[in-house]
Amino acid sequence: MIHMELQLGLALPSTAVKGFDLNAYVYEPRENMGSHPSFHSFGFTNDICSNYKKRNFDEAFEKDKTVPRTLPLLHWNNEPNDEDDPKDLENNSSFDSNKTAEEDVVVGWPPIKTWRKKIWHQDQGRQAKPKNNQAVKNIGFGSRSAQSKSNSMYVKVKMEGMAIARKIDLSLHDSFETLTTTLISMFCVWHDDSNNYKLTYQDKEGDWLIAQDVPWRTFIRTVQRLKLLKISE
Amino acid sequence: MLKKMSYSSFPEDVLEHVFSFVQSDKDRNSISLVCKSWYEIERWCRKRIFVGNCYAVSPRRVITRFPEVRSVGLKGKPHFADFNLVPEGWGGYVYPWIAEMASGYPFLEEIRLKRMVVSDESLELIPKSFKNFKVLVLSSCEGFSTQGLAAIAANCRNLRELDLRERSEVSLSALERLLGRCPNLRTLRLNRAVPLDKLANLLRQAPQLVELGTGAYSAELRTEIFSNLAGAFSGCKELKSLSGFWDVVPAYLPAVYSVCTGLTSLNLSYATIQCPDLIKLLKLCPNLQRLWVLDYIEDSGLEALAASCKDLQELRVFPSEPFGVEQNVSLTEQGLVSVSEGCPKLESVLYFCRRMSNDALVTIARNRPNMTRFRLCIIEPRTPDYLTDQPLDVGFGAIVEHCKDLRRLSLSGLLTDRVFEYIGTYAKKLEMLSVAFAGESDLGLHHVLSGCDSLRKLEIRDCPFGDKALLANAAKLETMRSLWMSSCSVSFEACKLLGQKMPRLNVEVIDESGPPDSRPENLPVEKLYIYRTVAGPRFDMPGFVWNMDEDSALRLS
Repeated sequence: MIHMELQLGLALPSTAVKGFDLNAYVYEPRENMGSHPSFHSFGFTNDICSNYKKRNFDEAFEKDKTVPRTLPLLHWNNEPNDEDDPKDLENNSSFDSNKTAEEDVVVGWPPIKTWRKKIWHQDQGRQAKPKNNQAVKNIGFGSRSAQSKSNSMYVKVKMEGMAIARKIDLSLHDSFETLTTTLISMFCVWHDDSNNYKLTYQDKEGDWLIAQDVPWRTFIRTVQRLKLLKISE
Repeated sequence: MLKKMSYSSFPEDVLEHVFSFVQSDKDRNSISLVCKSWYEIERWCRKRIFVGNCYAVSPRRVITRFPEVRSVGLKGKPHFADFNLVPEGWGGYVYPWIAEMASGYPFLEEIRLKRMVVSDESLELIPKSFKNFKVLVLSSCEGFSTQGLAAIAANCRNLRELDLRERSEVSLSALERLLGRCPNLRTLRLNRAVPLDKLANLLRQAPQLVELGTGAYSAELRTEIFSNLAGAFSGCKELKSLSGFWDVVPAYLPAVYSVCTGLTSLNLSYATIQCPDLIKLLKLCPNLQRLWVLDYIEDSGLEALAASCKDLQELRVFPSEPFGVEQNVSLTEQGLVSVSEGCPKLESVLYFCRRMSNDALVTIARNRPNMTRFRLCIIEPRTPDYLTDQPLDVGFGAIVEHCKDLRRLSLSGLLTDRVFEYIGTYAKKLEMLSVAFAGESDLGLHHVLSGCDSLRKLEIRDCPFGDKALLANAAKLETMRSLWMSSCSVSFEACKLLGQKMPRLNVEVIDESGPPDSRPENLPVEKLYIYRTVAGPRFDMPGFVWNMDEDSALRLS
């Protein structure tokens, strides 16, 4: 139970008059923060539940002018969180729960609208689709006729020497030539240099193979991810 | 001198005419406070109202006060509902409003709803009740189906704008019917279900469109589809805003090139367009004011944006893989720094990224002191400055210090109570603040509540803020529209106390696991939503919401 020093003298606001008038609650401006002695005494640290800090806070707060003059239900006294054991709080925090699943690690984080998330999931679903033979067959014939939104086929691409991987929709391509051209421009490599890279891919067994060594149809049926390797001189 | 002057000596219609030039709701509110006669004149000529919380006032009260309204804007659920933090069935029903307005506002022309539950029944009531209905905007709304929309389509002949953001399915035939009947339609946003080969026909039926959201933007590559589409686009001379581009096939993008110079708004946030194609497109849009885009734009695309779109005011960059652990694109703080340097009019930012530094934030703040909305989401919670490993307090501190007109701010990354001291000290015009995984103690919240004079909406999740800060600033809550706190450390006792002592606040505890007083002692409440109201407790609370007014608090204790 929290114990509170209720300011019993507090008159509830004469709401009829003051209503939502912001001016009624303007607090005194504070001194420039930088020059405020208490500010420096905070000495912030990364340790969120440091008891040490509380003491600093207490000292600081004595001098603080921020205490609102109007209507606190609880008098702001020296101890900010005397009843809340911050350690309890840490345990409650959903953030600390296991971070295993790709999503809902924390409900509502990152703050992306629910419908946007749905779209994202649809897209993820589509990426998984090529495993379905139907879709792969359609793409495999090199025709775009069967290509529709549900046949997108994203795979991850890495390029040697680039820290960040990309994704590419293979269903938009029907030959190694166009695929390589797209990849090269995606990684913003000058076309003069494009001959210095060879395209490799990982198949379903996890083996890395040189893409052009197999027919396009075989490639598209088994590819899991791509890598552009520098041809060593 | 002025004080002695009698305002009532002006003829009423002169004043009414003068007032008609005052557009802002805030100014209209001020006018109505001048004297009784101004109050009367103003209320009879107010055409547009906005209610930021549908539970803050009853529809009856609004209609009595403003009898001649033509346009109504209403918001329902708390903002965090967007992120799935508000349980299903919480409330926000529009039906009571439409039912009251049906008798009170027969000349109503516009309804704009956000985060409300809109039943088909409510939609069917619209054409029946409002003969000259023109604009319906449903933003993040739910509860309706094609049947309700068909009622609008079939009966609202003067419809100018129908905006169904974020809706899943609407039948194409209903749409075509609607287009045929609505020669005045200015805005049309299709969804993913509408295929690209239908778009050209829809466009030819509505060349007057100003805003268009395409449906799916993919088809097999055929020159006749392309030229048909390009032709249809070039007929749309009024187009200023484009969105959609679901499942885009880049080869079809050039079909829109003919309208690019006229575009002021481009929403590519559903379009997986890679950097080179984006750059080509953006270079053709010199008049762009607003860009929403996925992080595929990368730093290099943002640099190109900064170079070619000098009128840019609003930028939103969304993550293509919000739950991925690895970074899949080369988008860093640098992209935002480039835009802040290159686009002098930039004032609104929503930016998702995976790393940030205090230096970058300071640079952005110095480059763009005109910033009014700054929302930064570093995807991993509590991420420190990647260069120094320090909290980002100083960086966000610079934002609030330099951007004097900042109205909206979202924080992320590793933050201590210090950032809230900066915010309380400098952010005097801040109206909405979103906080997650930040702060160390009640002091953080206290700084914000006691310092931010203009604060109207505050939403907090997963922060160690509790009773003391909340109760010490109880009066501040009456000056605000709402406060949301979830996974914080507010006790049930404090909620009860607030609810009892502050009759103008609805203090609602949300807990799906059972009555909050049955929880173990000292366990903080799960979710807390506090809002000011002149309507008293609401009557449509589901079982998992408890209002802490005097009666219910007694019942519970």
